[in-house]
Amino acid sequence: MAAAHADYIFRHDHLLGIEGLHPLDITHILDLADTYAEATRAGRRPEPILTGKTVVNLFFENSTRTLSSFEIAARRLGADVVSMPVGNSSVKKGETLIDTAMTLNAMKPDALVIRHSASGGAKLLSRKVDCPVINAGDGTHEHPTQALLDLLTIRRTKGRIEGLKVVICGDIAHSRVARSTTMALHLMGARVHLCGPRTLIPPGTDTWGAESAGTDFDSALPGADVVMMLRLQLERMNGSLLPSQREYFRYFGLTADRLALAKDESIVMHPGPMNRGVEIESSIADGERSVITQQVEMGVAVREAVLHLLAGGRA
Amino acid sequence: MSIEIVNARLLDPATGTDAIGGVFIDQGVIKDFRTGTGVSFKDAKETIDAGGLCLAPGLIDLRAKTGEPGEEHKETLATASRAALSGGITSLVVMPDTRPVIDDVALVQFIAERGRETAFARVYPAGGLTVGLAGEAMSEIGLMAEAGAVLFTNGDWPVASAQVMKRAMTYAASRGAIVMSRPDERTLTVGGVMNAGEFAARHGLSGIPIEAEWLGAARDVVLAEQTGCTLILDQVTTQRTLDIVDVARGRGAKVFTTVAAHSLFFNELDVGDYLTYCKVNPPFRAELARKTLIHALQEGAIDAVVSAHDPQPPEEKRLPFGEASFGAAGLETVLPCLLTLVEEGELSLLEALAAVTIGPASILGLPQGRIAKGAPADLILFDAGKPWLCDRDHLLSRSKNSPFDGRRLQGRVMRTFVGGKTVFER
Repeated sequence: MAAAHADYIFRHDHLLGIEGLHPLDITHILDLADTYAEATRAGRRPEPILTGKTVVNLFFENSTRTLSSFEIAARRLGADVVSMPVGNSSVKKGETLIDTAMTLNAMKPDALVIRHSASGGAKLLSRKVDCPVINAGDGTHEHPTQALLDLLTIRRTKGRIEGLKVVICGDIAHSRVARSTTMALHLMGARVHLCGPRTLIPPGTDTWGAESAGTDFDSALPGADVVMMLRLQLERMNGSLLPSQREYFRYFGLTADRLALAKDESIVMHPGPMNRGVEIESSIADGERSVITQQVEMGVAVREAVLHLLAGGRA
Repeated sequence: MSIEIVNARLLDPATGTDAIGGVFIDQGVIKDFRTGTGVSFKDAKETIDAGGLCLAPGLIDLRAKTGEPGEEHKETLATASRAALSGGITSLVVMPDTRPVIDDVALVQFIAERGRETAFARVYPAGGLTVGLAGEAMSEIGLMAEAGAVLFTNGDWPVASAQVMKRAMTYAASRGAIVMSRPDERTLTVGGVMNAGEFAARHGLSGIPIEAEWLGAARDVVLAEQTGCTLILDQVTTQRTLDIVDVARGRGAKVFTTVAAHSLFFNELDVGDYLTYCKVNPPFRAELARKTLIHALQEGAIDAVVSAHDPQPPEEKRLPFGEASFGAAGLETVLPCLLTLVEEGELSLLEALAAVTIGPASILGLPQGRIAKGAPADLILFDAGKPWLCDRDHLLSRSKNSPFDGRRLQGRVMRTFVGGKTVFER
């Protein structure tokens, strides 16, 4: 499949966000990820193209799934992996992100994967180090590998991305997934409709490529090919952004009745971890239209592809 | 020692003068000035031929922060003064939010003395409006005013309680003291790091909404009207705030407005890829807001342009955008910023200079800021069109956090006089 783009060269030094990528870049990453996904399903080890290389995972925010996903992806390609789950507290002892970056840079890693609670954290790091930087989520800004795994999952289940109607529902304002996935879907020709409480919808979502951003989930669902639910951070309840979990679920929770409004063959996605009964009914999350576990599977494949392209050595 | 400065382009916004001429200085005071070519003054012991450069009153800056006392690694009065003079600022009001806060007589005297001893620019202390700037108890406004505090402010943290603000303004009015306040309804802006809007949302940054400024302004101008206190609204960024002020002025409130020079130059897009030197509060707003501020300046609706100088060392700025400190070094770029806008045709030279000379002088009732017989000889010679590249490493301020770093500017100060003495020469 990758042979179709034999002359294509991935020209980016880092993967900091979906913003700045060309649709061809995305297609190329997805194609490569597809071959990795197939290899894994067939029980084959991929070519160890990262043998002798060191990938450092620098996670300033707690994360289990993204961190393990990157670790597994890098190991499958033969890399030595060092994971530093620094959390938010331990680095607070005076060392700044830049100091940490300089220290790590001196150890000459071949790729740095960073998650940081500050928007722009990955960008800042990329200015200070000599190796490729992969953004594994920066504040409320971007989470590009999540967007790519969402696209791969959609493409594999629906056969295409272009022309699909995708409804993304939840806390749009604080979601880096919403930003990255909306931009990526728009670049690939899907029609994205955002939905959530008015207090959690930021201005300017049209500049991300969203066709609409509204508060009526029910009216957004008809014709939807994909329904993507976002995790509701429960602490939003404290800042008078929302009245209660029960009211949230009443208007924005994905129930069987609601899902019936979307196309019969529509799929249900969630970036995880889920709050069952808050944004999604358990029966839907575990139901036959849910591709949530497949998203996790594609996460590893996409990260293998990204590491391949950025750290695999450009011949 | 008497000096004449001749063959200069005299610029005096107070009288609208823009003509070739000269001034005669004796004992630190402007004794005479005349327009016309070939002007000279017979008693002059020394002659300075300006060679056609602009000669204007030195700038008066109503809002500069230094780190003295307490954070001298950021800036001292001496380093701030040096930076100011190289930028044409000859008088500066220094903010009370230092460590400790300038909230009592001894500290006001300390600033005034340190200013006289270590700085060549004229340094005027601003007093804290409330004790410790905590917004709870009013400070000794009368005694501090006697000791030399020229205005009273809570600095970057406006008094949250309307009750405390009203009492402080009522009392200040009775002592004839001026209150300066940042229009900012804090409950709307806490956690915000840049102008609220599409750009902030797209970059995942929390916004500082403009309505916070309007609400803050509305409260303070109403209190100014009710109490009769003279109020300076500190660093306005939108036309609607000026409209709010206009209504209050119509009702007799004594309200003045200031704008930070950098807000006339940058807009929110200059934050770009999380550039922390562009993190200031109030934040850079939309381009339309910037344009309307310039228009307001032309109309005379803004009384003073300030440097909003806020020196921050690298460790406060080399951080992710959300974690970095607010503030921009500004003393050296106020005049070049304005002159660049003049070169670009956005402002006339006299409009630009009025807001940094006679404008602030009138608010504080200072005798300088004009070319008039008997006025202190605080003067600058500058080359209005001279292009230069702002490089932070060449700034004289102890902290180099200038949003103008790397920018091409036009207009440079060549020589600065305070009380007739040359205190800076390029």
